[in-house]
Amino acid sequence: MTRRRPARLSAGLVLRYSVLGVGAFACLLPFAYMAANALKTYAETVTRVSPIPFSPEFWPRSPQWSNFAEVWLGDAFGRYFLNSLVISASTLAGTLATSALAAYAFAKLRFPGREAIFSVFLATLMIPETVTLIPNFLVVSYLGWVDRLAGLTVPFMASAFYVFFLRQFFRQVPDSLLESARLEGASDLRVLFSIVAPLSRAPLFTLACLDVAASWNSLQWPLVVVQTPRWRPISVGLARLISEAGPQIQLRMAGALISLLPIVLVYILAQGQIVDSLSSSGIKE
Amino acid sequence: MRLAAPRRSARRAEAISGYLFILPAALILGVFGLLPIVFNLYISLFDWRIRRSAFVGLANYGEIFGGALPFLILALSVALIAAGLALASKNRASLVRTLGLALLLGGAAGLIIDLPRIAALGDADLMRSFRVTVWYSLGTVPIQLLFGFLIAVALDGEFDGKQAFRVIYLLPYIVPAVATAAVFERLFSLRPESWANQVLALFGARPLQWLREYKGVFEMLFGFAPSGAKGSLGEYWSAWAGGPSLSLMSIIIYNYWVYIGYYALIYANALAAVPRELYEAAALDGARPWTRLRRITLPLVSPSTYFLTILGIIGTFKSFNSIYVLRDPATGGVTDPMSVYIFFQFFHGGRFGYASALSLVLLAIVASLTAIQRRSMERRVFFD
Repeated sequence: MTRRRPARLSAGLVLRYSVLGVGAFACLLPFAYMAANALKTYAETVTRVSPIPFSPEFWPRSPQWSNFAEVWLGDAFGRYFLNSLVISASTLAGTLATSALAAYAFAKLRFPGREAIFSVFLATLMIPETVTLIPNFLVVSYLGWVDRLAGLTVPFMASAFYVFFLRQFFRQVPDSLLESARLEGASDLRVLFSIVAPLSRAPLFTLACLDVAASWNSLQWPLVVVQTPRWRPISVGLARLISEAGPQIQLRMAGALISLLPIVLVYILAQGQIVDSLSSSGIKE
Repeated sequence: MRLAAPRRSARRAEAISGYLFILPAALILGVFGLLPIVFNLYISLFDWRIRRSAFVGLANYGEIFGGALPFLILALSVALIAAGLALASKNRASLVRTLGLALLLGGAAGLIIDLPRIAALGDADLMRSFRVTVWYSLGTVPIQLLFGFLIAVALDGEFDGKQAFRVIYLLPYIVPAVATAAVFERLFSLRPESWANQVLALFGARPLQWLREYKGVFEMLFGFAPSGAKGSLGEYWSAWAGGPSLSLMSIIIYNYWVYIGYYALIYANALAAVPRELYEAAALDGARPWTRLRRITLPLVSPSTYFLTILGIIGTFKSFNSIYVLRDPATGGVTDPMSVYIFFQFFHGGRFGYASALSLVLLAIVASLTAIQRRSMERRVFFD
């Protein structure tokens, strides 16, 4: 037994690493394709091709960094990028405030109808975006928010999922801590900001990352409420580049790379927390 | 007794701050989340093309289902199937189970006759988008479960580089779908130099049209093609036999890339919770690995399987971003699930009233699926 064990272990390890290696290769291949083609000349995207990243033909002969400049300036991706930054940041500020307040109330305050209201909140999670699209477009047009920052951000400044997510963590804060603060005359707002929120830094950070990723990725709503480049987010800019730019693959890939970079950076910064909270709670939006 | 008065006022103060705290979120969710459902009902009663015009009553719904009778038969069939499933699954008395089975068969027969009628008299494009949605669910969910589970088994336990693999596997799921779909739109393009056609060339195969191909994959492989008189039962059901279009298949492959890693992490989490002693006890009893898998592992991860299945099916009814980027208008809608079809009725067709009615049909389907999920959530424990 004891002599056989190391041999079996290493065979198992080889199998484990080969399965995981093939999977990781498949996960990363499209990113390699994106990077390689973003740096090719147009001619190279047609003639210098290979399906395997280990072949030199997969990569450009000499990297064309000017593709990025062309997309950033020529296709106004610089502007779209900034628009998306502003949209994500404003949405995040609103979402954090409304979700933290509501989660605190559902976790720590007693009021009649609390559970009923909470289940109504949760019911909004199942509604597909397509269903709310037309009425919301009419409401936003009525408010004069078409092509305005408010139209892009305000409808997303609350999310039942984040309320649900934060409530789980806020509940774990011991009541004795809150009671002693209240006895010293602290208001609930103060308790939330000076005791509960600092203790829940990790979930708040996860929420922030997920919310930024969600706003950065949103497409259906901005397609409808943005009609000019003024507030056009990068998702819509990229979708337009794909449907209208003709065969310039290197520009599309450069645009895709630009639009994905901030989210990859956020993800790498926060990877531990995002991976853990997503694989245990199992829901993104 | 004296203490009661201040305590009551403190309680009231707590209630007031409770309501104030939920007010901002409730206001936004109410106006942009719940109100739209009522508003949709209202809009759907009008011939609303960008601007509101004539009140038309239920005419939009009539256009969808091709009249009251096909709708009633559909509703009855679905009710029969639901009742039949409930009776057949819960009751052990054989008589009741037989009755349940009979109801189930009756409902199925109703659907077999009624769906072609709806396609002929009502909205044929909606029925096509429904078929796309069903193919999309069937094509994605089982394969993602299988490969997600296999990778989760490989991820189980402690070993070097585990966290790196976890981060890589979640990457496709976390990054913006518009950007990654933009890459797949090239990988599966019809051009001979596209990645998919280069892979075919490695095996000496001829290039395919991929995202531009409207033909079904079964049709391409085995030669099934829709046949029968237009509007007949045979024509409708033989359209199913052609299978998902190759363009939809390409989108399904994109889904594998996005979701298999995510499924693997969910499964890995469930596997980590399986008590090791169970395996040891089973090994002592002489259980073979296959028996251990079937009798211990699969039942214990079944809540995750169920959760991922329902979430995956609901996801196909909600999907939009990747398909908007990957769809080729030249294929004539064979890649568009219901959500995308409805979007274009509204966005390009400007038919607000009709699209509102369609979106309520979509909501009814998603709400029923969610209800099924909720009911089983009550029975099983998903979150630890």
